[in-house]
Amino acid sequence: MFSASRFFSCFVLLFALVILAAGCGKGGDESAAPAKPAEPESAADSTAPSKPAEPESAAASTPPAKPAEPAGAGPKKRIIILTNGTSPFWDAAKIGAQEAAADLKTAEAGLRVVVDTNDFSDKGQIDKLRSYQGMSDVAGVGISITNSGNSSIADELRKLAKQGVKVITIDSDVDRKNDRDSRIAYIGTDNVYGGEELGKAAKGLKPAGGNYATFVGLKGAANAIERIGGFGVGAGDQFKQKENFGDGGDQNTARKNVRDAIDRNADLDTLVGIWSYNAPAIVDIVTQLKRRKDFTIVTFDAEPIAIDHMKNGMIDAMAVQNPHAMGYEGVRMLKALITDDKDALAAMEKRMNRTEEKDLFDTGLKIIIPDEGSPLADTKFGDNTNKLTLSKFTEWLKSKGLQGS
Amino acid sequence: MASNPGEGIQGSHSSSSLSRLYSRYATECGLLIAIFAVVVIAILIDPTNAYLEKPWYNATEILRHASILGIFAMGAGIVIISGGIDLSSGSVIAFSGVICCSIILGLCQYAGLVDDTGNPVTANLPVWILVAAISGTLGVAFIVGSFHAWLITVIRLPPFIATLASLVGLRSLGRVLIQDVNRVFTSNANTQIYIRDATYKSLGNEWYIPVIICAVVALALFTLMRSTVTGRHLYAIGGNEDAARLSGISIEKKKWLAYCIGTMTAALAGILYSSYVGGAMPDRDGLGYELNAIAAAVVGGCSLAGGLGTISGIVLGAIFLRVVIDAVAKTVKDNPDEFQGMIVGLLVVLAVTFNELRSQKGDRKKFFPGALGIVNIISLTVLMGIVAVLVTSDGDSSTDDSRDKLFAGCIVAGVTFAVLVARKMFESRPAVGQGPVPVPIPITVNVRDVSSTEDPSTEIGKQEIEGREPGGEDDEGRDS
Repeated sequence: MFSASRFFSCFVLLFALVILAAGCGKGGDESAAPAKPAEPESAADSTAPSKPAEPESAAASTPPAKPAEPAGAGPKKRIIILTNGTSPFWDAAKIGAQEAAADLKTAEAGLRVVVDTNDFSDKGQIDKLRSYQGMSDVAGVGISITNSGNSSIADELRKLAKQGVKVITIDSDVDRKNDRDSRIAYIGTDNVYGGEELGKAAKGLKPAGGNYATFVGLKGAANAIERIGGFGVGAGDQFKQKENFGDGGDQNTARKNVRDAIDRNADLDTLVGIWSYNAPAIVDIVTQLKRRKDFTIVTFDAEPIAIDHMKNGMIDAMAVQNPHAMGYEGVRMLKALITDDKDALAAMEKRMNRTEEKDLFDTGLKIIIPDEGSPLADTKFGDNTNKLTLSKFTEWLKSKGLQGS
Repeated sequence: MASNPGEGIQGSHSSSSLSRLYSRYATECGLLIAIFAVVVIAILIDPTNAYLEKPWYNATEILRHASILGIFAMGAGIVIISGGIDLSSGSVIAFSGVICCSIILGLCQYAGLVDDTGNPVTANLPVWILVAAISGTLGVAFIVGSFHAWLITVIRLPPFIATLASLVGLRSLGRVLIQDVNRVFTSNANTQIYIRDATYKSLGNEWYIPVIICAVVALALFTLMRSTVTGRHLYAIGGNEDAARLSGISIEKKKWLAYCIGTMTAALAGILYSSYVGGAMPDRDGLGYELNAIAAAVVGGCSLAGGLGTISGIVLGAIFLRVVIDAVAKTVKDNPDEFQGMIVGLLVVLAVTFNELRSQKGDRKKFFPGALGIVNIISLTVLMGIVAVLVTSDGDSSTDDSRDKLFAGCIVAGVTFAVLVARKMFESRPAVGQGPVPVPIPITVNVRDVSSTEDPSTEIGKQEIEGREPGGEDDEGRDS
């Protein structure tokens, strides 16, 4: 019994039993749930278990077309939100998705919401999409495309759709010229518009124009291409792009890129962060070099640390998307598609009439400026933009339980 | 050396052919059992029964992934068997994708396959362009392999350093090259090349193509390593390079061959990878794959000290890794990536440890000697408890399952502690009936030994080459 190899085999068996015992609960089998099938899922509701489940505002206007399956009736189908990578942006989207799961009572419809993270690579995303094809419990996928130019990702989306899985894109879309048919709709910011608004902010900060460099994770991502293009349009002819850096999602490289841009371009005066983590990367290097006064810094998104940087006067303007709404609306749309909830779909389609195809759901944009002394205080932005001072923005974040957006 | 290393030591103890077969292919048999066990566990755990509901799709998907991994793992394995190490596989995969796609773009321009704006049209490519691109890529891989061999055998750089340089340098070269290629053949300096040709994309996407390529490569390399003098020489070099040199083996040529096989198999995998992802993106392609290749080789029975391992073991090692990865994705429904590394890492350690233990006389093996043992009993107890806590969940974020987690963690940690302490106490008993310590028998490797077509790939064969008695007391003394 106690020979080395036998002992080791027993140890391995013990390990396998641990995984077996623990893993049994992870498959979506809500074996713990039947005892309280009528209880609402949200944390707020759980404090009042005796209260009957009431539909939330979104769900109230859009009752599911199919009768809801009771919780714990069996393995649930999954709604998967597949990110392009990890960042606080996706943490906020995850909170939104979880809130939607609670508000819309997805569990009662036999659906479970899962946020799956990619590693910023095309292959990672293709692997995951192929893996979903081998599973029988995937009902809907909301994906943030890593590279819009890569038709292989769109091919996998089509294969999923053929199996009856509902597919939408979130935050970053497929190539709309060639692969628009591979998804049902796009939910997120209109990135061209967002770029234009940030460009307008740069123009407002430096009316005489300047030379700028853009910093992004993946230069091939649709949102990167659209934002950078939009920025050029919004900033106007007085601004010249000196360089465009991609870091592949590596934050060390992101910092190196900023240093390289400053070293190589003596006339550079505007630094533009395109993805959320590019803002702290820019500020870190500018701080190290003690050259804040030489640069105008405008960025996309508001990571918690970027908010602190703006408080400290290190960022002049932030164009902030609403990842919370992306997660929330993504789950809402997928649930409506899966359950064939025509009322909910009709309600969402009302906000998708900006293009002829009616397949773009805009989650809006905020331009955040410092509380005091910003030249942008009187600048007028587009109709779909909500300009906020930093303190008002942080209040909004608190109201949503978010630390960043 | 005996005509069959396995028979020489064990033939008298096991007369049946089945047990002889098992002793000869023990690693392979163990891996087959392990693969079967993982699949069974996954089927038992997965409430959605993905393996039962979509068996064909999942089997072909695992085979496709395992084939691509297996192709370059075999190359890495041969380098390891010959006593070297190749850290460049991942970068060679990325670089090969760049070369292959660049050749395609260039030949599109040459053949006039361009659109109105002068950009190459990569849909509906003629076959000759694909053949030329694949041949050119393999040619470049041969040059890279030759460069490695030159650095190692002529400049005398350690293999780790020589291939580390390629690991860093080739990816960087690919990133620079791809922008220049795009600048020359297209209207802008993109950092990716996308190929839209259906035939090219089918190479990595149709499951049977990588499987057939892997099978052909495996057959060729199996024959090379098992049935040719060159293969015996590679084992001999890995077992004892000085002895092999004194025996008249041309070390330089054999290492040249090994490193070229390493890079050319990686290039082949790189072409399939590029086809699978639809183009070349050198900043992320094949990132960290060199470690996957080494892991598959080591799980498949290769010793990083060289001289040990089989092609069949490496292929099964690759299948085992892919089965584990797929099983984790199937059974852990919430963020399987987060658990994947932990579970795969643990299983690799367990599989290799099991292989090591199997070759040793285990009864007197001490796992937990002295203070080091006590510290590791505590470590393993805590680790098992943490694993139990982490993987215990009802999968519903809205319910508080912290009590269940704590309970599961305590139970698992308690059982683990009890088992390990019992083992420690068993080990602390005075040894009874141990015989005298035999003296290791030095064995000289001669030209006839290493030139024959005997199989030195088994552990026993390797131990004979190194001049120590298999399972002898010198092992015990060292390990304890």
